[in-house]
Amino acid sequence: MSTVNDFGKNKAFLIDMTKCTGCRGCQVACKQWNQLEAENTEFFSGEGYENPPAMSEFTFTRIKFRDYERNGQSEFAFYKEMCMHCNDAACVSVCPVAAFVKTPEGPVIYKTKTCIGCRFCMIACPFGVPKYEWSKAFPLVRKCTGCYSRVKEGLKPACVTTCPTAITYGPREEMIKEAERRLSAYPDRYLPKVYGKDEAGGTCVIYLTALPFDELGFKPVTMRALPSYTWQALRLVPGIFIGVGATLSAISWFQHRKERVQNEQAGMLSAMFQHPREQESQAQEDQTSQDVKEDQRS
Amino acid sequence: MTAAKAIINEIQGYHRFIKFLIFLVVLAALGGAIRFIFGLGATTNLNDTYPWGLWISFDVVTAVPLAAGAFTIGVVAHVFRIEKLEPLVRPAIVTGFLGYSLVCVGLLLDLGQPQRGVYVLFPWNWNVHSPMFEVSMCVMAYTTVLFLEFLHPVSERFGWHIPLRLLRNLQVPFAILAAMISTLHQSTLGTFFLIAVDKLHALWYTPLLPLQFWLSAIFTGLCIVMLEASLCHRYMGQPDESKLLATLTRIVPWVMGAYMIFKFVPLIAAPQGPLFDRPVLTTLFIAEITIGLFLPFWMFLQSRIRTDKSMQLQAASLVIFGLVLNRFNVSMFAMIQPGQQIYYPNILESVVTLGIIAAHILFFVLIAKYFPIFEHHPEAVDYSIPDRFHKIEKAGSVEVVEAPPQPAVPRAQPSPVAD
Repeated sequence: MSTVNDFGKNKAFLIDMTKCTGCRGCQVACKQWNQLEAENTEFFSGEGYENPPAMSEFTFTRIKFRDYERNGQSEFAFYKEMCMHCNDAACVSVCPVAAFVKTPEGPVIYKTKTCIGCRFCMIACPFGVPKYEWSKAFPLVRKCTGCYSRVKEGLKPACVTTCPTAITYGPREEMIKEAERRLSAYPDRYLPKVYGKDEAGGTCVIYLTALPFDELGFKPVTMRALPSYTWQALRLVPGIFIGVGATLSAISWFQHRKERVQNEQAGMLSAMFQHPREQESQAQEDQTSQDVKEDQRS
Repeated sequence: MTAAKAIINEIQGYHRFIKFLIFLVVLAALGGAIRFIFGLGATTNLNDTYPWGLWISFDVVTAVPLAAGAFTIGVVAHVFRIEKLEPLVRPAIVTGFLGYSLVCVGLLLDLGQPQRGVYVLFPWNWNVHSPMFEVSMCVMAYTTVLFLEFLHPVSERFGWHIPLRLLRNLQVPFAILAAMISTLHQSTLGTFFLIAVDKLHALWYTPLLPLQFWLSAIFTGLCIVMLEASLCHRYMGQPDESKLLATLTRIVPWVMGAYMIFKFVPLIAAPQGPLFDRPVLTTLFIAEITIGLFLPFWMFLQSRIRTDKSMQLQAASLVIFGLVLNRFNVSMFAMIQPGQQIYYPNILESVVTLGIIAAHILFFVLIAKYFPIFEHHPEAVDYSIPDRFHKIEKAGSVEVVEAPPQPAVPRAQPSPVAD
């Protein structure tokens, strides 16, 4: 998390949206490899030709469609929605039981046997990726695994294997280099930005597009790693804990001492060993005299 | 008469308001059962856009600061040793203990896997970077502390002298420990929303959110003590404590003032984005700061209002309203993105939350009925430490008081609500 890691060797997706044909082979491959149920959907239930209308517990990735006009002609733009596998992921940092893990290979994975179901990951994720099994009595979080079971064995993720045109997979630093090479080689084809290089502190999914990102439905996100926002407060916790304890103990001791000194001055050394009933009556007397003083004052 | 019959008889004797509360609690229990049979999706209006709804916004994020009375009054009375406030401490501890227990109940209902809640305690799962980890540890620890403090009236009721003596000696350490733990988790509830940097609206998002949550918990805790003492005076036949409460009203504006500084200075000096771009949120913000902050602040500055028991109650209620609105703004309203469908709790969700509030009042009244929480009367129990080392004689004391230990006296008169 706050430790500096070299994420350059992590495996990353380079998704060139200008090369995407919208075939949605990635969606099918994802469903097959992850054994995800089909969803009952309707045409045009989402925006345009999107189907299903949103990512869900059954859909870890999907292609978003945008209609736009270029040179007087109607054209499509696409955006492949999936887990971004952040370098310093918000879900990893907020999980109270460490059910999310950033693997050394790159994918951020989720341990189903540890999750307690607080859904803080869903609040924290800037990309809205973790989804929940709302239909179950004891639900779990579902999200893209980066096909960790395949990557671990040296294979490429299912969607990468299927994609005929748009996705390249490899070490993150090489993917960024490749993206920058394409930007400089074909400056008129792309928007001059590598989305994912710095977004949310850097992600393992990197996009190139022709259209502005917000128009495609990309979420506007901070360039800082999200865990740093909470850590700047949380790192103070031990100091505050001890500080509050020490301060209050000192105050308590001082107030105690004040009382003791007062008692001693009143020649009541034995007051501490007095029976509480007497202390009580003494306190009452004190208070009534105090009240009288206060009344006089006002 | 069998035990069951005795219990039924006892319940039949209750005031009909109490019976109504029992009814609400039973309804909520049924709602809870539905959640565990049919799942969260069927019971609540939660979905992937709104993973947190009423149960988190009210039962956890709002209920925790509302239960802050126990630690604030504990510090004022036991650490700063303003001992005349002693009569307010015990009801506040009962309120706090009930509040935190019900936060735990609400949390267990809302968790997807409540049976795994204990996993937070296992060191191999610890994640110190998680605000949720910190809050769950603190809530568990503090509920335990409050339980031990609550044992005080219980041991008094049953005349357990040794635990009583122990608890009496631990009073000050417990008050300090309670403040330490509360400081952490009250503020960390604010830290929760620091991660939602692109979601929470700039009117509320500030890196100082934890500090704001902590300060507002302190002054609201004191106002909860006022509310509770006033209501006990009004409806449960308890003595009028407005003179003691006037002391609290002198403390509250200081904390509120500090809160205002830490709320408005970052907002003006370092806004995190456009502030007044969404009329609904602007309205909510203005409602929060005028009705829930400026108005009660001004009221608490007037000495006429500070000492008047009904005005005290009104000002305290406004502060509480302001806090509830603030927590809902931060955890729900200001998290909604423009163009998103609006979340509203459905009937089952609301019934459960209503039942949790009812349970709080119900258990408070019942505990007040069966345990000595209003009369803090140590004279009923013999606390005096045996003089093994003859310290008193050496010190030249004239006499050692030899009071025979009296049995604990149960409440002298039954509370009028419950007859």
